[in-house]
Amino acid sequence: MQGPLIDTLARQGVSRRTFLKYCATLASMMALPPAAGLAMAEAMAAARRPSVIWLPFQECTGCTESFTRSHSPTLEGMIFDMISLDYQETLMAAAGHQAEAARHTAMRDNAGKYLLVIDGSIPLDQDGAYSCIGGRSNLDILKEAAEGAAAIIAMGTCASYGGIPKANPNPTGAVSVSDIIKDKPIVNIPGCPPIPVVMTGVLAHYLTFGSLPELDAKGRPKAFYGETIHDRCYRRPFYDQGKFAKTFDDEGARRGWCLFELGCKGPVTYNACATVKWNGGTSWPVESGHGCLGCSEPDFWDAGGFYKALSLPADPLKFAAAAAVVGTGAGVAIGFANRSKKGGAKSAHETTTLDDLEA
Amino acid sequence: MKLDVIPIHVANQPPGEPGLSGNAPPLLREVVEQVRRLIESGEPSAIDLSALPLTPADLDWLQEKLGAGEIAVTLQASGESTLNETACPGVWWVTHRNEQGAVNSQFIEVAFVPELVKAHPQDVALGLETLEFMIADRQGDAD
Amino acid sequence: MNELQFLTWVRGTGLNIAVAIFLLGVTWRLFEIYSLGRKKDLSMPRHASGASGFHTVFRRSLAPPGMLKRSPVSYIGGYVFHIGLAVVVFGFAPHILLISNLTGLSWPGLPSQFIDLAAVVTMAAMLVMLFDRISKPVKRFLSTFEDWFTWALTFLPVLTGWMAVQHLLLPYTTMLALHILSVEILLIVLPFTKLFHAFTLFGSRWYNGRVNAHKGVPV
Repeated sequence: MQGPLIDTLARQGVSRRTFLKYCATLASMMALPPAAGLAMAEAMAAARRPSVIWLPFQECTGCTESFTRSHSPTLEGMIFDMISLDYQETLMAAAGHQAEAARHTAMRDNAGKYLLVIDGSIPLDQDGAYSCIGGRSNLDILKEAAEGAAAIIAMGTCASYGGIPKANPNPTGAVSVSDIIKDKPIVNIPGCPPIPVVMTGVLAHYLTFGSLPELDAKGRPKAFYGETIHDRCYRRPFYDQGKFAKTFDDEGARRGWCLFELGCKGPVTYNACATVKWNGGTSWPVESGHGCLGCSEPDFWDAGGFYKALSLPADPLKFAAAAAVVGTGAGVAIGFANRSKKGGAKSAHETTTLDDLEA
Repeated sequence: MKLDVIPIHVANQPPGEPGLSGNAPPLLREVVEQVRRLIESGEPSAIDLSALPLTPADLDWLQEKLGAGEIAVTLQASGESTLNETACPGVWWVTHRNEQGAVNSQFIEVAFVPELVKAHPQDVALGLETLEFMIADRQGDAD
Repeated sequence: MNELQFLTWVRGTGLNIAVAIFLLGVTWRLFEIYSLGRKKDLSMPRHASGASGFHTVFRRSLAPPGMLKRSPVSYIGGYVFHIGLAVVVFGFAPHILLISNLTGLSWPGLPSQFIDLAAVVTMAAMLVMLFDRISKPVKRFLSTFEDWFTWALTFLPVLTGWMAVQHLLLPYTTMLALHILSVEILLIVLPFTKLFHAFTLFGSRWYNGRVNAHKGVPV
């Protein structure tokens, strides 16, 4: 089904004005100038939908769930109308050899032009035997699919940074997409799961401007990952006033004070939850009373515990007691050495007599 | 169990709601620039209010200053949108809401008619088709 | 290593090492210094009012007559930056949380705007004192590497902490990690440099005061 997006939308009862309105909001969320909303709408309405191949690797399907269950199906689900989704194991009807054949057809017909979406990390240990599809390792499939891709979108923290499979001790030797593929543009959309609108925004940008949006040092779109949760948090004034919830059900927690002391990782987490929110703007983790886990940051799983405040030691101080004992021992030993030196000097001391001086 | 039995009084808006930040008055100057441009070259423009550090009090202040004009457009498109002309013709206050009624984005648009209000030629063509079909249908009935 | 891993390292292994070296150094040096002992003074003690170790501990915190006018920067600057440091270190809520986690002691924190002001004032006082040390020939002559080094080690934690809060130069995560790292370097170096005065200050004052009191001189 190839054709202008606006026709596809019209068939689903999405009017042009609904689409324009959506694009205006999308442009605003991406911090683009207001005129870009109109440009986006025009470009996307007329665009030939790009072929997208979506490969699931070592993942939990939570990222796919996040999109397919997003709150306004006609709009967030628009990503599925904006693209021609040629391979997605969870959503496609085909299975087995037919599914594999569909992927190969899409890759051949759109060589050099398709977008590759990856969710899940790639295990490298045991020659990648930890995760295989159709008897082939994830590494093998990724390399083959990346070959003809125009760009790669790493969906979720696992594909972006290795995520939970990579958590210490990383039993499968999991790595991220960018650890393997070096010669293609890669956008990371981390989060566990990521915010659905980020995906839409990236696709809209790609369709409108023919390029990927501006990325930060960790490969994330700056428009959504430009600021920390803490800086945009509605509870921030309480942090500044020094008002903290000490437990999850004390007076402070009930009054909605800052969750820093309960382990909130908001200060070191770059994501848009505080502004975009979840479930159609209903709420987000901090608003529900739980601190941020930092899920859009690399290795958030091993960052010293979810309920430990950022200013606390990540591990117990193991050497402290031993060091104090050793220090005391050394001090006492040197003290004794000094005393014996003093004693030696004292006993070696000879009294000067009048005779010595006269001699 | 009633909700008020649960001893939670969440303060969504921290006490001492932030007042005027001083960011609103400079926006009026920008609107003046944009209106001047509209008159001279006919070029429309807009200010994205959700992208600026404005407090609710700032927005109220701006809305009060700009006032209400003669036209108020309501658009029902996956949630309600309002495109209201202010007391200054050519300056429109545009608010997009989602189905739950929460504000998605907010703009000050400077244009003779906001883009969203105009009908798109393709849609007009579709309308024409419908009309012609209607007439053809009636003639068919009459014959 | 990315910045979150860096932060986790300084909060974990780094802190572990730094605290261990700090405790080792402090216990070692305290035991060594106080076990040295002093030769018994066999002379008759003289008595003068106000002459005692206890008096000296407090009196030495005040400028001797006339000295405040002769070197105001040293006294006023010194006071400002020591008090400022205390406010920042013991008044900022995340610091208190760390102290209470390590020792069980806890007290209410100060508003972050006030801490921010204290940090700026502290840094200004330290810069003025550094400038004074450079511009006064005598001070410069008396300064050794250790003086410049310890100044920098004291200044860095305040600067990096303030920059982290203000989001200057580097992302918050990296700055926070650098802040903690700078404190760890300070902890490691403290027992082995003149910064050890944080521990020996009152002991040595008391000792000097006692020796002088024996001679009947209130100083």
